[in-house]
Amino acid sequence: MTSVAAEHYRLLVIEDEVDIRRAVGAALRDQHPAIIEASTGQAGVEAVDASHPDLVILDLGLPDLDGLAVCERIRAMTAAPIIVLTARHTESDTVALLNAGADDYITKPFSTQELAARVAAQLRRARVPHAEHEVIVADGLSIDVHRRQASRDGNVIRLTPIEWELLSVLVSDPGRVFTHQQLFAAVWKRAFGDARLYLRVHVTNLRRKIERNPADPRLIITEPGVGYRFISPP
Amino acid sequence: MREARPNLEQAHASFVYILLVLGAAASGEQWLGILVAVLGFLAINYFFQPPFDTLTVGEPSDLLALVAFLSTALVANTLLARARTEAERARKHAEEIETLSQEVRHAEALREASRLKDILMASVSHDLRTPLTAIRAIAQDIAADGSDATARAEIIVGQADRLGKMVADVLDLSRLKAGAFTMHAEVNTAEDLLGATVRQFSGVPDARRIETIIDYSQPALVGTFDFVQSLRVMTNLVDNALRCSHDAVTISVTQMNGSLSFQIADRGPGVLVTERDRIFDAFYRPVGPAADAGAAGLGLSIARQLAEAQGGSVRYSVRPGGGSIFTFELPSAMLEPEETSE
Repeated sequence: MTSVAAEHYRLLVIEDEVDIRRAVGAALRDQHPAIIEASTGQAGVEAVDASHPDLVILDLGLPDLDGLAVCERIRAMTAAPIIVLTARHTESDTVALLNAGADDYITKPFSTQELAARVAAQLRRARVPHAEHEVIVADGLSIDVHRRQASRDGNVIRLTPIEWELLSVLVSDPGRVFTHQQLFAAVWKRAFGDARLYLRVHVTNLRRKIERNPADPRLIITEPGVGYRFISPP
Repeated sequence: MREARPNLEQAHASFVYILLVLGAAASGEQWLGILVAVLGFLAINYFFQPPFDTLTVGEPSDLLALVAFLSTALVANTLLARARTEAERARKHAEEIETLSQEVRHAEALREASRLKDILMASVSHDLRTPLTAIRAIAQDIAADGSDATARAEIIVGQADRLGKMVADVLDLSRLKAGAFTMHAEVNTAEDLLGATVRQFSGVPDARRIETIIDYSQPALVGTFDFVQSLRVMTNLVDNALRCSHDAVTISVTQMNGSLSFQIADRGPGVLVTERDRIFDAFYRPVGPAADAGAAGLGLSIARQLAEAQGGSVRYSVRPGGGSIFTFELPSAMLEPEETSE
């Protein structure tokens, strides 16, 4: 992966606080020298139009435009991954941005390594067209997407249709955060309904079947107040 | 009137007029009562006292009757008016008392807020300065000679994190006190909360000491609670438990009496009887050796308030065999089993 010329990636940071912009720049410049900075939502949208960045880091609380509006306008222009910088107590705003097409979020104060890791993961995701894998192997769990079968150490795991749907949606894009609403819409094929109450129960039941220790999940990760994501442990 | 005269005694007519006077006085102004009384006086004189249809008084006894009528009417009128004034005064009095007691309540709330602010200022200036001082000194050192920068920068990161946590705690407490905290209660599973709690400690060496007890033979336990805030409560309780001992910390969850009951049990020194209530006070720090110097002493206070704000609780109890148990209760939820088992 490191053989790909990293400097070819253009990153756009939309953030009004100059110190945070500087910190983000310091965290990423080693890997990605081409960093464009914008201090307002309007300037950010214009920069996306002008420079076609490969990844956008977007602060949730900009002074001029609503974060959601900026996110929607950027998403309408490019498929580049958007990582949202959020603060505590803003889960519902974060969910709105993820539903509007943002790919990931990171909460302030964040560690610079964590930010660099998220950026790398999103750039990797964007490069590798997903849903191409036929068999996904993660932490001893093997998921055969075409045969709709999951197994661990050769033993087939019996999943209910809903559990299978949940798992296949989550593994279709490893590393991506799915909001509760996105998962519900993808599994139940509708936006609202009583079944929404049961989403978390189904996730819990699914974990009991696929995780080594359901009380310490390593495959399906809870994003508190936001949703779930599937990750492959190293 | 003249038609009624043959069938009506003067005394009867007077009664009717007195009723009119009282009605007039009761319905409103005192002057109306007086006016009706005078009109009644004249009407009785004119219609019912011989010589009829004049205002001349024939007999002295008639004059007495007229004067008696007028005085009765006026006295009754005055009494009524006085009663009304008294009632009005009483009502005003009650209103004043209500206003005053509201002011007293408001003043009490202000005093409480101000007391909290005083404690806050004292604590903030002391506790926040400690990590700031360390950060500044170490950063200055690095700026001066640059040696050992990596190790020193790590100390700065640690101190900055501590500072950040304190600021967050202080802000949360003031939000809670101001009632500005909105809870998003949703159907969640106990296991999801427990798993997210354990994950908060991933990468921390102490995490190896966390043990979980869940009965997987039973359907997943479900509750109605705010996941994010409940996670804060759990993280705080587990963090405390890990810090107060070097042995295993056990997290278990059961359901009873309409509640999910999370228990965090440690083998630490426990809490003195005299301090068991006070540990939940804001800015309270246990006496004796400071196990947690630097923390603002807000964790348990915030945890309890976050629990109560969503219909739950946090309680302390002694662990048999030594140590503490903190019990975090949340309202459980009932879901139709056929839906969940599908």
